[in-house]
Amino acid sequence: MKEIMEYWPFLLPVIVIQVILAVIALVDLLRHKTYRFGNQFFWIIVVLFVQLIGPILYFTIGKRDS
Amino acid sequence: MNGLLAFTKKEFREHIYNYKALILLAVFFVFGMISPLLAKMMPEIFSHMSIEGLTITITEPTYIEAYSQFFKNITQMGIIVILLIFSGILSRELTRGTLIIVLAKGLSRHAVILAKYFVALTLWTISYSLAAIINFGYTFYLFGQFYAPNLLFSLFCLWLFGVFILAVVMMTSTLTSGNYAGLLLTAAILGILLTINIFPTIKKFNPVSLASNNIALITNTKSVSELLITIWITLALSSFCLLISLIVFRRKKL
Repeated sequence: MKEIMEYWPFLLPVIVIQVILAVIALVDLLRHKTYRFGNQFFWIIVVLFVQLIGPILYFTIGKRDS
Repeated sequence: MNGLLAFTKKEFREHIYNYKALILLAVFFVFGMISPLLAKMMPEIFSHMSIEGLTITITEPTYIEAYSQFFKNITQMGIIVILLIFSGILSRELTRGTLIIVLAKGLSRHAVILAKYFVALTLWTISYSLAAIINFGYTFYLFGQFYAPNLLFSLFCLWLFGVFILAVVMMTSTLTSGNYAGLLLTAAILGILLTINIFPTIKKFNPVSLASNNIALITNTKSVSELLITIWITLALSSFCLLISLIVFRRKKL
């Protein structure tokens, strides 16, 4: 584990980006109540628990055009 | 000409406002960063997985592994992300009906296709270069070595494959209507190309070769000259797809 901890300065930016994307998607999906498919609960789960791909899926196929 | 410029600017703005540019940059940034890191950490990750009665011995990773992780990430996840992001580039505006207003104001239909393709191409080039540069820097930092033979050529091949994919996306979105039909058709075309890549005789003429020989190129098991024909064919096919989309879109009922 010690060796893996050595790389945390490299892992940190990756984690930060993933969190930023998830937060942007979460804020957006909480502001819009309707989606192209699925409900709010479904998209919250997808955005928060599917790393990296979750927010992408939300913005590309989930978000309804305003 | 002015209309084309204004429409291109509008396209760029739209990709920024609906977070698509951001997603693309973020995802490729992550790919560039994580690839050398995964290669470096692989032995440690495996050494912490204790599997009963199984000892896994892994040789010390080299910078080649970092690049192979990079190419694997981009050709698999990267292409999927590109497809998802750009599959709605035309259909979204068609279903919304906003395109009709622009066309009624006198913008030519060709300009719409060309502007959209140009924007997609620019975004792909920027995000791919970002990933490549970051991967380059990290590989050098973690492995102390970055020179691989044909590295730039190998990177160029994958870039060109992306250019081809975008042309296919443009074509399928003019051929189909609705939100997901274009995406499905593109996936189907890619599926066919991947399937026929099994036959060794066709391989040389298949654009997929540009995305599957990257490691062979930097390890010198494949030479540059072997892929030249593939490059010309990919360029021709991309122009062909673009031409089809121009023709089809001119006659398309909106």
